Amino acid sequence: MRKKIFVDIMDDGEIKIETHNFTGKSCVEESQWLKDLLGEEVAKELKPCYWRKDNKKMVKKHLPLCG
Amino acid sequence: MSHVSRIELDVKDLSALKEACRDLGFEFMAGQTTYKWFGRYIGDYPLPEGMTEADLGKCEHAIKVPGAAYEIGIRRGGKGWMLLWDFWYSGGLERKLGTNGGKLKQSYGRRAVMREAKRKGYKVKETRTENGIRLELTGGRA
Repeated sequence: MRKKIFVDIMDDGEIKIETHNFTGKSCVEESQWLKDLLGEEVAKELKPCYWRKDNKKMVKKHLPLCG
Repeated sequence: MSHVSRIELDVKDLSALKEACRDLGFEFMAGQTTYKWFGRYIGDYPLPEGMTEADLGKCEHAIKVPGAAYEIGIRRGGKGWMLLWDFWYSGGLERKLGTNGGKLKQSYGRRAVMREAKRKGYKVKETRTENGIRLELTGGRA
């Protein structure tokens, strides 16, 4: 699948960047130039592909519930 | 999809800002050191970060907006350039720029992304969405 980066610029000036078909951390690395160009990242949502390594196995991440 | 980021826009590229002004029919006034505004600070809103009352009305460049009595000041600050403008209704800027200057921000963001994306070898496809524009970037060598 072809890698794509979508930049949505709303009429009120709000900007959203979405990466598609990247695996692992490459999505963050390959879109960093856009964040540097446009300003400051105020929110980030990681999608399941972020935790996938080179199209292979999904790496399960566990977050502590407390403590 | 791998991740979604929301970005708070900073103006860093004056060339892209000049192009954005041209797109909107505004006039970029290089080297104009004052901009038109209400002219007196009445304390109804906080001053922009790092600015004093004496700084109001002073700038390094300005933007003239046809049909508006007030102007936009451009001044170094933050992580690039600050856009200073008085949104008092009689100045006419909010009617032209939208709330929070959205139209100018959108136009600047569009130009900034297109310039840099092309420099990096991306193909850019632009489409209009319900509430804005979408730039689709594919390819790229950097």
